[in-house]
Amino acid sequence: MKNTSYDICIVGSGAGASPVAYTLAKAGAKVLVLEKGPWLTEKEFFKDELAISIHDAYNPKLENEQHVIEEEYQDEDGNSFWQGEKTSDSGWTWWNGTVVGGSSNFMSGYFHRLKPVDFRLKTEFGAIKGANIADWPISYEELEPYYAMVEREVGVSGRVVEHPHQEPRSSDFPYPPIAEVPMSSWIDKAAKDIGYHAIPVPRAVLSQPAMGRRSCEYSGYCSSYGCSSGAKGSGRAALLNHAVATGNLTIKPNSKVHKIASDSEGKITGVHYYDSAGREQSVSAKTYVVACQAVETSRLLLASKGEKFPDGLANNNGQVGKNLLFSGGGTGSGDFLFDELTDKQINELKVVGPFVNRALQDWYKIDDEAFSGASKKGKAKGGTIDFLFHQNPISRARGTQWGSDEQGNDKLLWGEDLKQSMKQEFTSYKTLRFEVFNDWLPTDDCFVSLDDEVTDQWGDPVAKVRIGYHNHDLEVGAYLADKAEKLLVALGAKNIDSSVSGYPATNLMAGGCRFGNDPKTSVLNKNCQAHEVDNLYVTDGSFMPTGGSVPYTFTIYANAFRVADHIKENWLTAAKT
Amino acid sequence: MEKEKEKDDATKLSRRRFLKSAAGASAIGISSGMALPALSLTLKDQKNLAKLVKTDPWKTLDATLSHLLPKSSSPEKVGPSAKDIKALAYLHQVMTVQPTDSDEKEFILKGVGWLNGFAQSEQGKPFVDLSFDEKELMLRGISNSRAGENWLTTLLAYLFEAMLAPPAYGGNPGGIGWQWLDHQAGFPLPDKGQRYFELPQRARVKNEIAFREIHLKENDQNFAKNQSINKPSVKRTSKA
Repeated sequence: MKNTSYDICIVGSGAGASPVAYTLAKAGAKVLVLEKGPWLTEKEFFKDELAISIHDAYNPKLENEQHVIEEEYQDEDGNSFWQGEKTSDSGWTWWNGTVVGGSSNFMSGYFHRLKPVDFRLKTEFGAIKGANIADWPISYEELEPYYAMVEREVGVSGRVVEHPHQEPRSSDFPYPPIAEVPMSSWIDKAAKDIGYHAIPVPRAVLSQPAMGRRSCEYSGYCSSYGCSSGAKGSGRAALLNHAVATGNLTIKPNSKVHKIASDSEGKITGVHYYDSAGREQSVSAKTYVVACQAVETSRLLLASKGEKFPDGLANNNGQVGKNLLFSGGGTGSGDFLFDELTDKQINELKVVGPFVNRALQDWYKIDDEAFSGASKKGKAKGGTIDFLFHQNPISRARGTQWGSDEQGNDKLLWGEDLKQSMKQEFTSYKTLRFEVFNDWLPTDDCFVSLDDEVTDQWGDPVAKVRIGYHNHDLEVGAYLADKAEKLLVALGAKNIDSSVSGYPATNLMAGGCRFGNDPKTSVLNKNCQAHEVDNLYVTDGSFMPTGGSVPYTFTIYANAFRVADHIKENWLTAAKT
Repeated sequence: MEKEKEKDDATKLSRRRFLKSAAGASAIGISSGMALPALSLTLKDQKNLAKLVKTDPWKTLDATLSHLLPKSSSPEKVGPSAKDIKALAYLHQVMTVQPTDSDEKEFILKGVGWLNGFAQSEQGKPFVDLSFDEKELMLRGISNSRAGENWLTTLLAYLFEAMLAPPAYGGNPGGIGWQWLDHQAGFPLPDKGQRYFELPQRARVKNEIAFREIHLKENDQNFAKNQSINKPSVKRTSKA
């Protein structure tokens, strides 16, 4: 067994890991990144619907590595119980990008900041029954410089506009907005007409070549696809490539960490992993950083039992895995029917390549007596609405084989009927979609544990995830979806519909090792250092006690840069002595 | 597209269950007592589709795909045919080159046996020898059983892929499907050697091989016997 020593060993390579690798390697520390997926480059990402949507080719096969998802059911007497199901049985994957750079390779890159209110939800709106809401131990002001840093270092394109919920900013966007479709101006006009403020969405996509990366090439396929130009600010393209160039960073791909070992005093002795051939290896470092995305981070800590930590590393207060978060809200859509539009409008609508890039944050804080949420007088935390088009043609074709017979029953179509159905589907209308993001309140029914029976291909217990939600999330989501639908009406869209549910979007996860000042109710301190283990940090989204009402990646990046500064200071101090 | 995963996954979920039930639908014996040739894929099936298409299973699959997506008969009825989008070549890839689930491949092959068994018992001829109207009658007939409907839906799903996946996978030559449906493809597209199953592999304990031999037992059943199989529904039990 080889045993090499590093200053910093990081488990994971995504948005939580890469800022630490980047900051410390640039400072001169010897850094090791262990990533369980392969190390791909721009040359291995294609606009291939089969690879991305249909075969999920950048993730493990579920029979090799999976999760057990616990859902709530009712028995005949109306009593509730929780029942787990293996994802290899359900087909519901919980992997989001098992490659160097992690899920940041495949993100949409909607880079909305959190707002000051998100750091003090409890103070602002009070407790909500059944939810474990806690204020953050840091303020927006403490994180703001790091949002600005991410905008520069990762590269965020955008335009500041005045709107009622604009958060304070120390600087303008370093890159101009990426190109937009003509239809974006329809949204601007319709929003203005009904008193909304449509805002341009800041994107982690370069609008100009910079930092050794090409700018966006507007292929029209961005969200959920890997970027082949390098414009998308993945941890790999934006940070790890530069960190490797310092000569101080070693990335070991295909390395699956399964345990962080500790001694009788609770000190970490090393990280144990399987290499690409399945051989057991170990490595030690002065400081350890875990950033495997929320569910897998909690799983690794829970699996890392030691003499001092019988229930898992840093888990003597039983907090690891608890208060897991997803994103509340849902999706909706409306159709623009070509036979109701002029040729000019149809042509504008058909433009593919640039982005829609519009969002609404008018209800980031709800203050509406008509809102019947948990808080009194209609005051509650609201959220964000983003607009977008979908591209994937195979997904769109699926469903065109169903028509109806004379009695109105489903009838399978083929032949000329099928051709007509496909032609109609693809060429008679275009669907504008929206996504609602609101807080997923932390509850006792949403957490990670280890499964007692199911193991991965190496024989280690998989994560079991209980996915309970708080009803308040649905009320807020429905309130926002209703607002979004009104904009679609103003745009003249037809077949308007939306769906808000308690089912999590599995690419939007955080929590499980929340930070706080009290070790009894949190895993990490305000520097994201484990209360119970001095040289252990967690820098992915696990730290969040509440998640805010925007996608997580931007805040994960910003916080990881903040923690990286803290680790760097400690490393420099230790190096001097 | 941060929120789409849930929906896509639900689609996958139902499709997988679909296949499971369809594969499980194989335990009922054929009624007419005639012996069907055992269908299996071997290594030789990977080569020379032009020759293969003269024999089953490819001959029947070709005829079925061409019936599902026919050459248009009049100028106002346009759109590419199964032949134009190279649907059989695509399906051949699915069966021999892509790492397709063995359950799925087995199910497609079983369907060929079922369809020919049904054609024999109803019309006294194999499916490929029937007239257009007789074929229509046979396919409409099997679509009334769950297993038959699943089989046709599976072939239709591969027709969609043949029409709309990147040409490197064997269908959609020159982007003919995209052009017909006014769809603008993304770029770069994968070439051969860059398809989803050819990307650098991650660490794995078990080596997987793309091609598996499939043997089917003789006397697999017919569609008509499988009507009792329930179409599974996506789990969305009421929340407590």
